[in-house]
Amino acid sequence: MSALKEIIREKLENGSDAFLCLKNQEGVNLPVLITSIDSQDIEVADVGEVRYPLAKILIELQKQHPDKRFAVFVRGCDERAFIELSKLEQLDLGKLVTVGVACTREEAAACGCARPWPENVVLGEKVEASPGLGTIEKLEAMADAERMLWWKEEFSRCIKCYGCRNICPMCFCKDCSLENPYLVQPGEIPPEFPSFHIIRALDMAGRCIDCGLCEEACPAGIPLRQLYRKMQEIMADKMDYRAGENRDEKNPLSFLGEEADIEKLE
Amino acid sequence: MHEESTTKENGEVRILAFLCNWCSYAGADLAGVSRLQYPSNVLDVRVMCTGTISPYFVVKAFQEGMDGVLIAGCHIGDCHYLKGNYMTAKRFQVLRDALNFLGLEEGRIRLEWVSAAEGEKYAEIIKSFTEEVKALGPSALRKKDAAPAGAEAVKA
Repeated sequence: MSALKEIIREKLENGSDAFLCLKNQEGVNLPVLITSIDSQDIEVADVGEVRYPLAKILIELQKQHPDKRFAVFVRGCDERAFIELSKLEQLDLGKLVTVGVACTREEAAACGCARPWPENVVLGEKVEASPGLGTIEKLEAMADAERMLWWKEEFSRCIKCYGCRNICPMCFCKDCSLENPYLVQPGEIPPEFPSFHIIRALDMAGRCIDCGLCEEACPAGIPLRQLYRKMQEIMADKMDYRAGENRDEKNPLSFLGEEADIEKLE
Repeated sequence: MHEESTTKENGEVRILAFLCNWCSYAGADLAGVSRLQYPSNVLDVRVMCTGTISPYFVVKAFQEGMDGVLIAGCHIGDCHYLKGNYMTAKRFQVLRDALNFLGLEEGRIRLEWVSAAEGEKYAEIIKSFTEEVKALGPSALRKKDAAPAGAEAVKA
């Protein structure tokens, strides 16, 4: 990735205070903040073979250094996350310099998102991807009772590690409902069906940007993405909202709206 | 005594109704003072506005052994807080479909607009909703045979 090194140097010379990216350290990708043009880390800087929720680090960085200008590389999903996070007032896009990275064919196929490229692609080339939404249809075709059994079976493997929440770029609350003892009984494994999972799903309505990190991170291999894809579908069908696609449109669940919008609902 | 027998007749389904203080609770009250007959297996929770009902409450209600949940508030445009029920309408769409995707029947959760003058409508809604939930039977989300929330506290 010699192009990335050039870009990092160029951004640091032209007004950015630091560049957030990954570095390859003995075969492992770690996040690194490069603050100086002489940094050793520029040589090992990488966009990584695995994805990493850099948004989570950026939120903290911007909180601690509100006056600094950070540069960061973005994939399609990162960009959607940034846009949605800025609407939720967690990120200041005006102080971010983004370098678009298009996912490779293999990456796009493995992840199956609908848009594996950001608005302005600087590194890599756009490849078309077909979103693997098949399983949602299969689930929707099931009878209610059958579907509940299927989910119960899947969720019975949950070890309540909070991995899905911790890796989620869209999760940033300080007080998490999943840790509220009145909603989710503490010390119970697997967590009660469906409260633990439905609470997360409801919070993901209009927020989930379909990066699929939750499913990648889940040690029990629970098909979480299907649940969150359903939430995306509900928001698109009922309220015509797709998280992270439009910078000006707000999440309909974040404001009251007008009577005309409500009458369009059932 | 009377209550027990009616609960049995109704196939022992339990329904929780969230009623808004300004319209639907008054509507239910009107149904009561008008001596309208409707099934007695509904537990009321009075809230200041349906907009204050977090979707978590509904999930919690099912988890605590309710077979159906009704949310009733002011008609759109009549909200005491002007737009509180707009939020309810939006959230309800998401909540119902999300619960349904996990396998809960759509008929177990209902949103209705009942004004303070619609005592008869309230009685009708409770009748039809109870019938619907009864036809579906006890909810699969109910724990073994959980007593309704707070039952132990009442006994003690």
